[in-house]
Amino acid sequence: MPSLSSLFQVPWGDYAGSLGGGLLRTLAYTLASFAGAAVVGLGLALMRLSRLRIVRIPAGIYTEIFKNVPLLAIIFVTYFGLPSLGIRFDVFVAGVLSLVLFYAAYLSEIFRAAIAGIHPGQNEAAQALGLGRVTTFGRVVLPQALRLALPGTNTMFVDLLKSTSLLVTISAAELMTQAQLIASETFRALEVYLVIAAIYFVVCYPVSQCLLWLERTIQAGVPLSLGRRRRLRLAKALLEGKA
Amino acid sequence: MADATTEAARGAAGTGKPLAVKIAGLRKSFDGRTVLGGIDLDVPAGKIVSIIGQSGGGKTTLMRCVNLLELPDGGTITINGEPICGNGAVTCKDLPKLRQRVGMVFQRFNLFPHLTAVENVILAQMHAASVPEREAVERAVKLLTRVGLAHRAMAYPDQMSGGEQQRVAIARALALGPTVLLFDEPTSALDPESTGEVLTVMRELAKDGMTMILVTHELPFAREVSDWVVFIDGGRIVEQGTAADLFDHPREARTIAYVSRHAAPA
Repeated sequence: MPSLSSLFQVPWGDYAGSLGGGLLRTLAYTLASFAGAAVVGLGLALMRLSRLRIVRIPAGIYTEIFKNVPLLAIIFVTYFGLPSLGIRFDVFVAGVLSLVLFYAAYLSEIFRAAIAGIHPGQNEAAQALGLGRVTTFGRVVLPQALRLALPGTNTMFVDLLKSTSLLVTISAAELMTQAQLIASETFRALEVYLVIAAIYFVVCYPVSQCLLWLERTIQAGVPLSLGRRRRLRLAKALLEGKA
Repeated sequence: MADATTEAARGAAGTGKPLAVKIAGLRKSFDGRTVLGGIDLDVPAGKIVSIIGQSGGGKTTLMRCVNLLELPDGGTITINGEPICGNGAVTCKDLPKLRQRVGMVFQRFNLFPHLTAVENVILAQMHAASVPEREAVERAVKLLTRVGLAHRAMAYPDQMSGGEQQRVAIARALALGPTVLLFDEPTSALDPESTGEVLTVMRELAKDGMTMILVTHELPFAREVSDWVVFIDGGRIVEQGTAADLFDHPREARTIAYVSRHAAPA
């Protein structure tokens, strides 16, 4: 049984720079992919809720395909496969594109369920008040759907952050790729990968806790937008006879 | 007989007031099942018309046609002189504007659960009627005060009783300055105490001269506030008249049966 001191022998100080760079890369992949996946996912969800079959069906097919294909296969096709068709992406674009394609399918399922979960009476009430379709969606349906979608979306965000580690297979310069380099230089795989796992944990845990806090705050009805705060302040002042 | 009651309606309605709502030959069916089989109804400005009858008789569908939440298959509806639909097509040029003039209160309130009471009253003012923010907030506070809920302005719908929610819904409909208010069984989902609160607000509105169409099972209330009562069954108007006529001297067998079943002393 090796002692703790014999377990930790890698000169981590020398690798701080490459680890920091890798971590930033990981975060960049995560944020870019999540933003893209959220936009595409919302579009897909809206398509799947359309009354027109011709709009609904392609979105359904897309979702089923990308939900049932491994992420690693998507990464390999985009980065190693497409160049044979003359389509060449730089590694960051290929990585983000793969993650967007994959996670958009999952997010669209979450968003679709959330939007479909809004009571039809909400749409009717909005219409009866003369709100147009776009305003009704933006001001009545979407804010409520976001609340319903938040728990599932948060889980997906953390899942996506961890999945960026698969990009090690295309040497994406993110955290796991750095880990692989350090391991091959030092021949201390156990130590290196334990430390990397710990770094992922130290990033992911606070993120999921923050998202949980956001979930609870929104659920409790705390107004987050400046416009709402301003209107509520004004209403309060009027009620107290101060405005 | 039908012609005679229509004549009577014109007679009673023809008090020289302009018509707020005129419905002629209105037809609607769902999947081949006729829900409205030719309805004629005049609602003069400032009057209150109650629609009574069995569930499934077409009352709610009739009401939902008036603000075009349902598109009728045939017949015409005219609001304040403007034809809004005819022969199964919308002729109203500005649908949002129409809905601001014809407010609606639902059986299940349908408040926006993600917004506070005061924001529920603000939303459509700003985003449908383009009222400036400050004015919208001021009017919302004023209206909540009017329905006795100033102290609940900052509450969310799920923190309010059914009666409070329905009163907020009335304030929300009033905020757009409608000329006609539609009430679709506004007290059916409420306990007796909440029903009392909501009826008090509606009584006030009646006193202020608001034109109202009311679908209800609250016959004592219908009798108290209505200028005109219409009994609908099987998608047709079976009988109509003043509250006293219809409740005290119903002539049609179906009306007699319905009234005697529902008009137990309140």
